[in-house]
Amino acid sequence: MQNEKTIASAVAEQEDNRATAKISGEFVTIAAIFGLTFAMILASRAISPSFGSWSQVETILYLSSFLVFCAFGQGLVILVRGLDLSIASVITLGGVLTASLMNGSNEGFLYLVPAILGACIVVGLISGIGVAYFRVPPFIMTMAVGLIVYSLCLGFTRGTPRGYPAPLLSGFMQDKFLGVPAPVYLLLAFVVFGTILQSYSVFGRKLNAVGNNPLAAYIAGLPSGVLIVSAYAMSALCAGFTGMMLAGYANGATLRMGDSYLLPSIAAVVVGGSSILGGQGNFVGTVGGALLLTALATILTALGIEQGWKTIMEGGVILFALIALREQSFAFLREVLGKRG
Amino acid sequence: MASIEVNTPRQSRGLPTVRQIVESAFPIIVIYVVMATIYSVVQPSALSLYSIESLFNNSLPLMLAAAGATFVILQGGFDLSVAGIISLANVVVAVAPVEGPLGAVANLAMVIAIGLLVGAVNGYVVAYLRIQAIAATLATMIICKGVALLILGAPGGYVSDFMAYELTASIFGAVPIAVVIAVAVMVFWSVFRTTNSGRSLLAVGQDENAAALSGIDVARTRFASFLWAGAFYGAAGYMLAAQTATGNPNGGDPFLLLTFAAVALGGTAFGGGRGGVTASLFGAATLMLMQKVLFAVGVSSFYTGVIQGAIMILAVLFSAFVQAVTSRRNSL
Repeated sequence: MQNEKTIASAVAEQEDNRATAKISGEFVTIAAIFGLTFAMILASRAISPSFGSWSQVETILYLSSFLVFCAFGQGLVILVRGLDLSIASVITLGGVLTASLMNGSNEGFLYLVPAILGACIVVGLISGIGVAYFRVPPFIMTMAVGLIVYSLCLGFTRGTPRGYPAPLLSGFMQDKFLGVPAPVYLLLAFVVFGTILQSYSVFGRKLNAVGNNPLAAYIAGLPSGVLIVSAYAMSALCAGFTGMMLAGYANGATLRMGDSYLLPSIAAVVVGGSSILGGQGNFVGTVGGALLLTALATILTALGIEQGWKTIMEGGVILFALIALREQSFAFLREVLGKRG
Repeated sequence: MASIEVNTPRQSRGLPTVRQIVESAFPIIVIYVVMATIYSVVQPSALSLYSIESLFNNSLPLMLAAAGATFVILQGGFDLSVAGIISLANVVVAVAPVEGPLGAVANLAMVIAIGLLVGAVNGYVVAYLRIQAIAATLATMIICKGVALLILGAPGGYVSDFMAYELTASIFGAVPIAVVIAVAVMVFWSVFRTTNSGRSLLAVGQDENAAALSGIDVARTRFASFLWAGAFYGAAGYMLAAQTATGNPNGGDPFLLLTFAAVALGGTAFGGGRGGVTASLFGAATLMLMQKVLFAVGVSSFYTGVIQGAIMILAVLFSAFVQAVTSRRNSL
């Protein structure tokens, strides 16, 4: 009997994983991280009824938008096997220039915005050229450029940044449209734009190729140098934009305004499932990472627990997310579920 | 110049010669000597024992931290926990000071144990659970900082008199103890890199697959590198406490980026396989000396960062240039 096994029965005995095989590990990671964030917000409701409300979700979305903006740029740089440590300084540059040049008036708003963002792009171009053409390690190049930019901000402002953003900008940050803060719409638009740019545009595909295998990309005729430089330029543009939005939000700039975004921007990208070694990553995952980190910080702050415990829990959740959201964990889960089914 | 043979494998055992120590870190030593010369010309008082003592006491914590980070970077990893471990070690020493020379040893044992513990967590998560090093150590750094804040909520505490005074002084009134420690680390490294562990470390960094095929336990080598790193970070926090004579739960923060800048300045490749601890020690010493030089030359404090950043980039380019020249000469 055993020898007469028909092909049909052999096929039938094979594990049927057609439904699960279609779901890529990347998708599961992203779904899990959004699920984790959502569960955390819901769970916070058990602690206090004021938590987990729609207005709190709005706040989390609003606050996470700054991290999402700069993490997008960080993600592009990490995609091409780099790392951008100048983000903190460029955020400060964007903020300081916004406050001091706009100086509380709407006059010249339309040309000041591109001028300020342009200045930030120049910073990114310098980092990118150093990395791509002079082969300076990204870590040291962006750190040194960050130091230089910060020092220039310090000198430019003589230690105390002055001025206010244009009322148009600060007004936008406080505006509500259909009961939802205007920046939340901006966030949604940015996420759609960023996802298309990173994963579906020709530019994004080329960046993925360079990050995946620089040698293969070179042989295929891709201009690796130009692509790497443009990734750093995009990162600086995003960081400058973050600084501008932050200045609008806080109605002014400080010299340390970017500091609290550097490590979270890296954490958001990596927790979101991108490889720090480049060549693999998805912006939606990064957004999930940023939402998770922001939701966690917001809830922990609202709970009013001691700073030390708050810090430990933040680190613990990052570590937990990293370990739990590995593809191996899902492979294990899939196996268990598959057997049961 | 003819004595540069950076890539020549060494078979010698026993105590290394001065030449061996110097060779492994040639470009950064040149940069350091040039900068020290400028400093002593601009500021002649820099050559007094007191100035040399304080310069090295200031530099030693960063030098130890950079030495530790080098172990991890050589095998191709990354370790952000440096800032957390230094803060933690710093507050532990300041909260539980033990008097006397034996007390200093007890305190040292505490911080090394802490470093090893955190290093073991890092190593396990990175080497065995295969989590990305930069992300995993970011998490452990944050957790360490939280624990440091719980132990000491605000800067304060005090360290034992022996640590604060004796460990920052000089032997025979001539050689600062900080220099003795730095030289000891250099000698240690020169011996270590000829051992099986040392060779495995570099082999894993150069080519993980080749190392695994030639019978090296890659995961164990990675794990061990995090242990070494943790122990050195603990020692760095210990010397920071000795130098500042107090505890600061955020004391490790400035070390986060400076440590990697020092390692990169020394010419150790990020991604692994090339470089060494001696070079990182000089890289760290150069960074600290640079601040003194800029101050002595009279650069406005607002703009020192501009020059620091520019020098860092130039130094890395210089190291790369020297390496390119010497490797070409060796291959001829």
